[in-house]
Amino acid sequence: MSRAVRTWTAIGAALLLLPLAGACKKKGPQPGAGAGAGAGAGLGEEGLGGSSLERARRGLAPEEDGILKDVHFAFDKYDLDSEARAILDRNADWLRQNSRAKIELEGHCDDRGTIEYNLALGAKRAKAVKDYLVGLGIEAERISTISYGEELPLCREETESCWARNRRVHAVILGK
Amino acid sequence: MRGRVVAFVLTFGLVAAPARAVVTGEIYGPGSESFRIAVSPLKDLGGGGTLGAEFARILSRDLELSGYFKLLDPKTFVEDPQTSGITADAIDFTGWAAIGAQALVKGGVSAHGPGVTVEVRLFDVPARKDVPQVGRRFTGGRADVPRMAHKTADAILAYLTGEPGPFDSAIAFVSNRGGRLKDIYLLTFDREDPVRLTDERSIVGAPEWRPDGRALLFRSYREHFPYLYEIDLGSHQVRKLVPGPVPVLNGAWSPDGSRLLVTRDRGGDANIDLLDRAGGLLRHVTDHWAIDVSPSWSPDGRHFVFCSSRTGAPQIYVGDVDGGPLRRISTTGSYNTSPAWSPKGDHIAYTTRTGGAFQIVVVDADGANPHVITSAGSNEDPAWSPDGRYLVFSSTRGGRHHLVMADRDGRSQHELTRGAADDTSPAWSPRRE
Repeated sequence: MSRAVRTWTAIGAALLLLPLAGACKKKGPQPGAGAGAGAGAGLGEEGLGGSSLERARRGLAPEEDGILKDVHFAFDKYDLDSEARAILDRNADWLRQNSRAKIELEGHCDDRGTIEYNLALGAKRAKAVKDYLVGLGIEAERISTISYGEELPLCREETESCWARNRRVHAVILGK
Repeated sequence: MRGRVVAFVLTFGLVAAPARAVVTGEIYGPGSESFRIAVSPLKDLGGGGTLGAEFARILSRDLELSGYFKLLDPKTFVEDPQTSGITADAIDFTGWAAIGAQALVKGGVSAHGPGVTVEVRLFDVPARKDVPQVGRRFTGGRADVPRMAHKTADAILAYLTGEPGPFDSAIAFVSNRGGRLKDIYLLTFDREDPVRLTDERSIVGAPEWRPDGRALLFRSYREHFPYLYEIDLGSHQVRKLVPGPVPVLNGAWSPDGSRLLVTRDRGGDANIDLLDRAGGLLRHVTDHWAIDVSPSWSPDGRHFVFCSSRTGAPQIYVGDVDGGPLRRISTTGSYNTSPAWSPKGDHIAYTTRTGGAFQIVVVDADGANPHVITSAGSNEDPAWSPDGRYLVFSSTRGGRHHLVMADRDGRSQHELTRGAADDTSPAWSPRRE
């Protein structure tokens, strides 16, 4: 029961964000030929929130959470803890109820460590999330992955809490 | 380590032909800052304007960055550069010796229209003679004067240490300066303000020089996913270097320019591939579920060093490009990344995590004798100078990420960039022709 309520809340949030998403879409270039950006995606829903890079091009901070919540990781790790799995269980529910939606999973890291290693680590994080969602029955074709490593942080403070926020996989909804 | 003679004791002419004048004294390693040299502004021989002072400023900075020299204060100079002689028979060597100069640089400059001629000599003060191995006449345009100064610095180091200096070169790096996302910039040793090379309006990284010095490869997200591109330094044309849909994280040309090692991310598994010049696959060099990233070639083109997390945490490994077992060379620390093989072949530098910060380590090519050369701030992503004597890396010692140049023992360290932006991922060019 509580899960259904949460789902409806999420869809309500999506409706509220529609005009904003449409406005963003007109300004910025398309999110590109991501594997999930299918033809005929619904107007105003494609690019909801926008990829973190598209947002950076428009001078916006990356989106934190969204309809699908971010999952977080330990330093130099890409395994999913119970909290991350619980978030992904809910994200999988949404993907099942929005069966035409495609997503791109963005792997991010904190800024500690070198740039190329963190790019590879972000790719591992996105893959770990994709594998988990596919294990829950979500079609692999609906999920693309990309790593931004430490290039697009949510915050820049040298603190444990900021580092923890930045070690994330963020889901961008590409279309429904 | 301090006071170690790294080059040659020149007193008895072991390097130079015995019949020639040689600079008297010993030159110690970078960081000793012990060899006392005076760089006089060039004498204006007609139309030179400020070029003589510019030449001396650039040459002095190069010599200072090298770490070998103590530059004598121009306020103590005993001759007026504009009225005194510039040949050995007309120089007050006794006066220069009295202020402690072991060596003296003097010369003249003339300019006619766009053309500039510079004549420069190095003098051995105690021997009261000039050093013909260093003396040069340069001709070119006004914009060439900085390179004339760099070539003079490189020649002075060649004479005193047996190895030319690295200053007639450029450093490519990544910066978010100017409110842009990230672009590639070029820095030469005659300027504080780097020149922007790319116009990506995206996130770029991992610049690496083509061995001929005429192009750079780099990573860009211009097509959504990260791929490798090459920019020609003459035309500024950008082309995709590695075809195909698989994201590429970084790459490096073989020393002969015939092959590429790249890191490709196949759905979350980063591995290293060997490619031909056109980007075609020659072989998968690594094939492991863990992270394999950041390949760097040995100068003989037979081996490579890279970073792998196959034991659970990133460590540094060496292998043969054409196959065979891998050998781990990082023996300390639980986080070691971004290796770079010296162009001389004898050392490897990489980044290590220690005490919550990141530092630069230099080891012998077999991993022996690890030596942490930094301590202030976090220091990442080392790249070698073409002479294998210096490293450039990014450092937060001044707050933001700036480029720092250090000798490979870490005794001489200088910030090369300033400002409120982050400068990272340096790559040092080959010497210019």
